[in-house]
Order: sequence, then C-alpha cells, then structure tokens
Amino acid sequence: MAKTNLWDERDLTEEQKLFKESILDWAERNLPLDRVIKMNREGHPFPPDIIKGLADLGVIMGTVPEERGGLGLNWKDQSLIAEVIGYVDPSIATAAGFMAVSTGWGFTIDRYANDVIREKYVKPAINGDKFIGIATTEPGGGSDVSNFKCTGEKDGDEWVLNGEKTFISGVEEAKKIGGGYWVNVRTGPKEPGAPHKNMTAFFVPIDSDGLTPAEPYDDAGRNAISTGGFIMEDVRVPEEHMLGEKGKGFYYTMEGFDNARILIGASAVGVTRRILEEAADYIKERETFGNPLAKYEGIQFEFVERYIEMEASNLMVKKVAAMQDVRYDEEGWLARTNKAQTYSPKEIAKWISMIKYKVPHLAKDTADDAMHWLGAAGYSSEYIFETAWRGVMSYCVGAEGGANIQKIVIGRETLGPDYVPYK
Amino acid sequence: MDDKLAIVEEALCISCGVCVPVCPVDAIEPVLMAKKADFSKYSGVWVFAEQHAGKLRPSGPELLGKGRELADEVGEDLCAVLMGKDVEALTGELSAYGADKIYMVEGEEYENYSTEAYTTAMVTLISKYKPSMVLYGATHLGRDLAPSVAGHLGLGLTADCTGLSITEVEGRKVLLQTRPAFGGNVMADIVCPNTRPQMATVRPHVMQPLEPDENKNTDIIQNTIRVSSDAIKTEIIEVLEPEDTGEISVEESDIVITGGRGVGNDVESFDILGKLALAMKGTVGCSRPIVESDIMPKSKQVGQSGKTISPDLYIVCGVSGAVQHRVGIRGSKYIIAINKDPKAPIFEMADFGIVGDLKKIVPLLTDKVAEKKNSEK
Amino acid sequence: MKFVVCVKQVPDTTEVEVDPETGTIIREGVPSVLNAFDEFALNVAVQLKETLEEDVEITALSMGPPQAKEALTKCLAIGADSAILLTDRVFAGADTWATAVTLSRAIKKLGGADVIFCGQEASDGNTAQVGPEVAAHLGIPQLTFVSEIEKIEDKNIICKKETDEGFLRTRCPLPVVIACMPTPGFLPKIPNMREIIKGKRKPYEEWTFKDIGGKEEDYGLEGSESVVVRTYSPPPKGEGIIIDDEPEVAVQKLMDYFEKEGIL
Repeated sequence: MAKTNLWDERDLTEEQKLFKESILDWAERNLPLDRVIKMNREGHPFPPDIIKGLADLGVIMGTVPEERGGLGLNWKDQSLIAEVIGYVDPSIATAAGFMAVSTGWGFTIDRYANDVIREKYVKPAINGDKFIGIATTEPGGGSDVSNFKCTGEKDGDEWVLNGEKTFISGVEEAKKIGGGYWVNVRTGPKEPGAPHKNMTAFFVPIDSDGLTPAEPYDDAGRNAISTGGFIMEDVRVPEEHMLGEKGKGFYYTMEGFDNARILIGASAVGVTRRILEEAADYIKERETFGNPLAKYEGIQFEFVERYIEMEASNLMVKKVAAMQDVRYDEEGWLARTNKAQTYSPKEIAKWISMIKYKVPHLAKDTADDAMHWLGAAGYSSEYIFETAWRGVMSYCVGAEGGANIQKIVIGRETLGPDYVPYK
Repeated sequence: MDDKLAIVEEALCISCGVCVPVCPVDAIEPVLMAKKADFSKYSGVWVFAEQHAGKLRPSGPELLGKGRELADEVGEDLCAVLMGKDVEALTGELSAYGADKIYMVEGEEYENYSTEAYTTAMVTLISKYKPSMVLYGATHLGRDLAPSVAGHLGLGLTADCTGLSITEVEGRKVLLQTRPAFGGNVMADIVCPNTRPQMATVRPHVMQPLEPDENKNTDIIQNTIRVSSDAIKTEIIEVLEPEDTGEISVEESDIVITGGRGVGNDVESFDILGKLALAMKGTVGCSRPIVESDIMPKSKQVGQSGKTISPDLYIVCGVSGAVQHRVGIRGSKYIIAINKDPKAPIFEMADFGIVGDLKKIVPLLTDKVAEKKNSEK
Repeated sequence: MKFVVCVKQVPDTTEVEVDPETGTIIREGVPSVLNAFDEFALNVAVQLKETLEEDVEITALSMGPPQAKEALTKCLAIGADSAILLTDRVFAGADTWATAVTLSRAIKKLGGADVIFCGQEASDGNTAQVGPEVAAHLGIPQLTFVSEIEKIEDKNIICKKETDEGFLRTRCPLPVVIACMPTPGFLPKIPNMREIIKGKRKPYEEWTFKDIGGKEEDYGLEGSESVVVRTYSPPPKGEGIIIDDEPEVAVQKLMDYFEKEGIL
C-alpha cells in the first residue's frame, strides 16, 4: 500500500510545487517525524542546524523585498510555504518560531525598521544567524493589547524603556544566537476611550543592558522552541530603534498580528493534512475484528469530516492570502482612507481571525480524533499525534491572540460595532 | 549531393554510422537499412554470447536455451555470435548449449569490450548475414551494445525482456517480447513488425539453458572485421576492483535481512544474520525493540518509525510483524518471513514463509546461498 | 563549453496500475517528477561545471507533454542555464528510437554539445536505450553506467563507469554521450526558494517538430519501430507459500523458490 497522499498539487503554481518539493526533500533528510518527536521531547533551544537549514532553504521572511535580502514573495507563496512547514513539523514548533514569529512579525519589523535595524538584525535573521520576534504580551494583559504598562521615555538621543513582557516565543533562541524583539511601550499618557493611542514600537536587542530574561516557561507542547519573558530596567535604545512613527505602535501591531495569523492558519492546514495522512496509513493497515479500522464508519466518517474541514480551511487560507496580497498592493492601506479598495483592513482582519480561530482548533481536534482511532498507540510518542495535539493547542488557547478575541473581531465585523462586548 | 542530403547507396551501406561523424556538412543520417524491406531475406535467430577474460558469461547459454525454442518455431537456425581475442575455445560450450552456427570475430581490438569495436562488428555481421532476430543479455555490456547497434541500424529494440515468444502479425511470424516497466508493476507486450532483425535485450537468470549436448554439430564461421584503434574512442585507463564502499544502508540495499526479538537479546545473537547478509551481499536491519535494547543503532531500524524500505528481497526473522513494521516494508518485492509462531502477522505479508527455529534455519540458508554463489563464479 | 542534459518527467511512483478495460496505465492523481537518474546526471553536470575554469552553458532538454515543463523548471532551479521542451502532438507515442531521433535533431539545432548527459534509465520505461541511441544518431561515442566524472582536460573526459565486473576508469574525447548511474547514497541538490525563483527567470523555450525539421512520420508513434501490443498488470501475488517442516526441507524449498523467481 502506497503512503497516503492528501495533497492536491493541481492547486499549486509551478513555483509552489517546487517550493513544496524542496521543503519536503529537505525535511526527509533533516527533519523527519521521529526527529520532530525527539526535539520536542528534549525541549528548547531549537536545534541550530534546523534554523540554518530553514534559512538556507529560503523559507524565512520570503515576503521581504528582494533588495532587502528577502525573496519578494507574495502571501499566497509564503502561506503555502508555511503550510508545508506545518506539514513537516506537526508539533508546530517550527512554524511557530520561523513562520508566525520570525516571518509574520519579522516581515512587519522590516516594513517599519530603518536600514540600521534591517542590516543589523533583519538580514541576519533571514540568513538564520539571528532570531527576531515579538514581545507584546504583559503580565497584566495578553489579548487586551492596549492595556499595557511598559513605558518609554526619551532621554537625549535615546529612549529609556521599562517594564515586563511575557509569553514571548524564542527568547532562549535569541539569547543563544543573538537577535532581538519588537517591544511595544507607552510613550505618552493613556487617553480615556482611546487606550491604543500613544503606543510606540521599538526594536530591542536581546543583549541590551538592563534587559533580564526570565526563566523559560514549561509549556504543554511545541517544546522545541522556547517561550519566555524579560524585564526591562532602564534599557536604553537609540532613536533609530524606533519602528515607524511614534504613537503608531498599536496599528503596526495589528498588522503584525494579521501577518502572523495568516501563517499560523496556513501551518495548521499543513499540520491537519499530515495528521490525516499518518492516521490514514494506520487505519488502512490495522485490523480489528477482521477488518481494517478504516472500514468502520465510526472511524471513516470522522476521518472524512476532518478531511472536508481541512480542505474548507485550505480554501479559506488561500482566500485570506490573496486578500493580503491585495492589501499590500494598495499603498497607504494603513491610513484608513476611504480610497476604493477591494477589502478594507477590518474585513481582512475578520477573515484572518476566522482562520486563526478555525484552523488550529481543527488541527487539535483532528489530532484528538487520530489518537482515538489509534488508541493507546496514538497516545504514545511512537506516533506524532500527541506531539501535534499538545503543540497546536498553543494556538487554540492563545499565541497571536486567544480564541475568543478572534470571535469578537468576527462578531464586530458581522453583527456590527454596536455589539462589541468590550471596548 | 542532392538537396544537401547525401545519397548513400543502400546496398553498399552497412550502416556502421562511421560516415556520420566525418561528414563535414552534417548531411548524412543513419540509414534505416531494413525498414519495410523484403523480410524473406532475413533468417536466423542470433544470440550475442558475452565472454569476459576468456570465459563465457551465463547470459549466452541462457539465451541459447530460449533461442532454440524460438528458432524451432520459426524454422530457422540458432546462431551464436562470439567476439574476443583467442576465444575459439568457447565455441565448444556454445555448440553444446544448442548453437547451429557460431559467427566469430576475433582480434586484438575485441579483447576488451568497447562500444565502437563491438558495434562495428555487430553492424557488419547483421548487414552481411541478415538474421531475423538478435538477442542480447540485459547486462551492462548488453545494454551498452544493443542500443548502439539499434541506433546505427535504425532498428526497434526492446529492453530487459522477461518473456519471448512467437506471434503472428499480418500473417507473418514475429517475435513477441514481454517486458516489465514501472519497476515491474506493469507488463508490456511489444513487437517490432517493420524492421529486421528484431532485437531484444533479455533479463539475466530468467531463461534456462538447455542440458549441454557435447555431440552437437555446429558450423563455425570466422569473420575478419578490422577496427582501427583511431575508431575506438573510449580508452580504459584502469580496471578498478569492485569497491568496498562499506556497508550499504538499509534503504539502499537490494537485499535487507531484518531481525527482531526472536533473534535474541544480545549483539552476538545477530551474528547469524550478519553472515547471511554477507553471503547474499545484503544489509542487516532490525525492528524497533532491538534499537531500544541498544543492540543496533537507530539507522538500522526498519518500520514506520524507522526506515521505510523497498528492497528486491526482504528477509525478516523473528519479527512478529506489528503494523508499524509492515507499513515500512510494503514496497519490498519479495518478502521472506522466518518465525516460530505460525500465527505471526508477518506471514500474511510474506511471499514465502518458514515456520520454525530461525537459529537453525538461517545458518542452513547461509550455507546454501554461499554454495550457490560459489558455483556461479 | 556546452553541456546538454536530457531529462524526462516520470510518474512519482512505480506503483501504477493498468486499467483492465482500456489496457492503459492509470495516471490519474499520480504526481510527476523529474526522473531520478536524470536528476543525478544534471547534478553531475552542474558539479562538473563548477570545477571547470572555462565558461560552461548547461541546457536541459526534454521531450514530453506541456506539463513536462515542470521537470525543466526544476532543472533550472538546480542549475541548468536554459531549458528546451520538445512538445508536439507529433512526438507523442515515441519509442526509444523515435525519442532519440527527436532529441538528437534538437541537439543538432542547438549546434551540438561537448557533453550530452542523460540518466542511465527512466524509472517508468526502464529501457536505458535513449542515451546510446542518441550517441548513434549523432555519431559520437557513448559511455554508459557512469557513476563519477573525474575531470575534463584537453578536450577529453575522464570518468568512472560501472561494468559487469566492477568499475573502470575511462578516457574519451569530446563530444560524448554520458549515461549516468546514481551512486548509492547520492543525495541530489535540493534547490532553495531563491534558486527556484531565479530558475523561473532563466531562458525557457518550447519547440515543436517544425523547429527541429524532418518529416512528421519520423516522430512519435509513426516514427517508432517497436509497437506496444498491450499493457497489463502482472498477475496478482498469490497467497504466500508457508512451509512448516524440518529446517533442511524448508531451506531447500526456499532455495527452489529463489531459483524459480530468479532471486539472487
């Protein structure tokens, strides 16, 4: 029996087919499933050879323009790459670290950074020599991004940053190979009714004086990449470390979330596809009561339902990636002008929230089903399912925005702003 | 020259192709010597009898065995073609294996195989004697020579046949060639109705030689075909001994011999598999529990969480055959299972299973295989 | 110097089946890939190019349906400098002879080549005939079962080739056709995303039979000398033979089975 193959290549462009082929060939040599299981058992830091391998493959920050060291890919291509990365590593550790964080946020950093940061941090991160990411969550607030306490005060040519950031992906990796984070701080008073104002984004190197990393968290899953935090005590960064304009950090952050969430949605499609393929191989082969498991409707129909949901999700991701391409073709979309656009940023954000909500849950539920189909074997680390299940759960509960926040965004865009439960 | 394409007198051309590279204006293309010509002039089933260092290779006798059957059916002579330097001693063997005639070409230039000399000689002989069929072994040599001859003469050629028989096309008896494609998953029946001779390379070890008949009468026809050393472009610099590339990995090996719990719980117990692997030129693999007991490294593990393999021959000893293992070996062409438990699931997949004590069976098998290999040398 | 690498797009599996009704191979849903032997040949050509001081242009050449462009796109990503697809209904159904006619005419139109690389065989047809037949058509020498190219010097190529006995080191003057046999454990280059994008920008052309000249009947099914009468699936694997007997008897029966099946 041939290995189950649930890909439909006819959806892909010629280049995308080759992207996929190269990543799969690379993974076969460097990141087979048993290594995925092992590196998640062993825990962070993320294997340096895999970081370098991903960079050499050219999958990190492909959307950055060619003249700045990227490949100038569109979002359709980058999300296909993210899908294949999720397929290759269903623990989602690789996608979390190098698609959502390094690519989704890295691309956004590149958009707003000046050439100093681009040369010193973005390019090396594209080459796998540094790790860059996002530090936005604080002990007092995750999804409520505007309710943050970190501050930035100008002192001569420098900015002095203070406060604490938590649940940051990749701190241990950045400590090990160098790099830094996008850090949001308040650079002015909190305005009543407009808490998102006066937020400013800075790029903060991990080795800055006054920055103390906390002990990394002991997470349930995707343990190959670290989650950590840090405290900033009078961390001084030069003016050129400011990303974009002062006071616009909230908008940039929303843009960064959009980029990261697209890639998470795409990765989760890949995770689901891999889980279904691996499970299919088992249920077609394993017999009970004289029949292969796949012959029993109790299992077959569950499998089919997950497959339908996966392909529906796949189409949604493709739609969202196409919307994002329209968005980045339009100059000035952030200015929220009334210019005729195919999609408004809010509409795009709604669709992005839909995939961010839907696909990780689908991946988690599919892993859950697969473990039921396999029984005890599925629960053991002999198979990928429990590793995937624990890993994708991180994107159900939070990471790039919690599940219920996505629903609030979708509710706002479908029922109207009058029904937003929290303002 | 007419319209910048040289006209070559067909009767004079032996289609050796020699004219092509020397023509300055690139005006000559190989002539299809026998395309839709009068096929009645073509008679004789030919077998190219390979020799190396004065010894006949097995493909010749094998092909003569099949050739005899074909020649009898079409009522033609069975002929062997023998090339080399001082190889007359081999004619006796070819005769005993059934050749009615032997066409010999001898000379310095034939001592070692070269595409150029052998192609020239073959093309000359075929053009001169006009056989209806020519069979070659699908060896490295045969698969180098036959397409070169076919290319020079404009003939159809069927590669690596596993079956040959006679069928009728438009009232004429033609050679029906059966060959596997897609690594054996598809079979194709092929004829070459429009050209003569019909040519095929035939997979070694498929056809059976006849019982040698020492009293067989055979005509030996000597041909002198000189090929100048200038015409032989390829030059042998060095003959390299078969390389010791270290052990081949389980994924790459054509023959994999795997052991599981049933073999034993220590490294020494696996020696019997190593010996069998040595005799068969195969590679030893193992099941997951063996890796977990640190008897063998992970790289040797066969199965879903180890290596997925598709060797030609998979011999699996003392492995019950859990689904994880079976999934990893589905691509194997032949699966031979040895296990003491007749209910072991591995037997469901096996082409050939032996129920019994592998500690007795494996050494016996090793001896038999070594015996067979020695007798072939 | 000019290298031409002849490649073929093949189904990504040999596990194909024959439709019992029509007798044709079921290709539906089977993805296509660059033939692994040809991929090896291209890798050898690209590596050789890197070792040579003089400029080398590598052209990947294929005959096939329009979708075979994908295989050539991969060649461009791996390191071919340009690619040509010979695609025409007239070429369809070609046997090895007609394929060799088509390829050699295209090579002539390209102005010839110093080295023509091809894979030893294709994983679908397994004939290993096209390379030597191209050599015969072009009237140049051939080296088959080549596993390694040592170097090109003074217009001679030196390489290692596999024979029935072992290996030979051989020397041959250019131009030459080299049929490459992958070495065990050989890992082909994996093109990265940047190389894939760059590959897409390299020169790519599609030629029909009008571009390479000759008559329609020289090509495809009509130009073929061998005719496939029928294709079919091999008889299904019967129930396995299970022997429960004395070890000596069982082993002898296994040896007989090896003999019958032509194993070993």
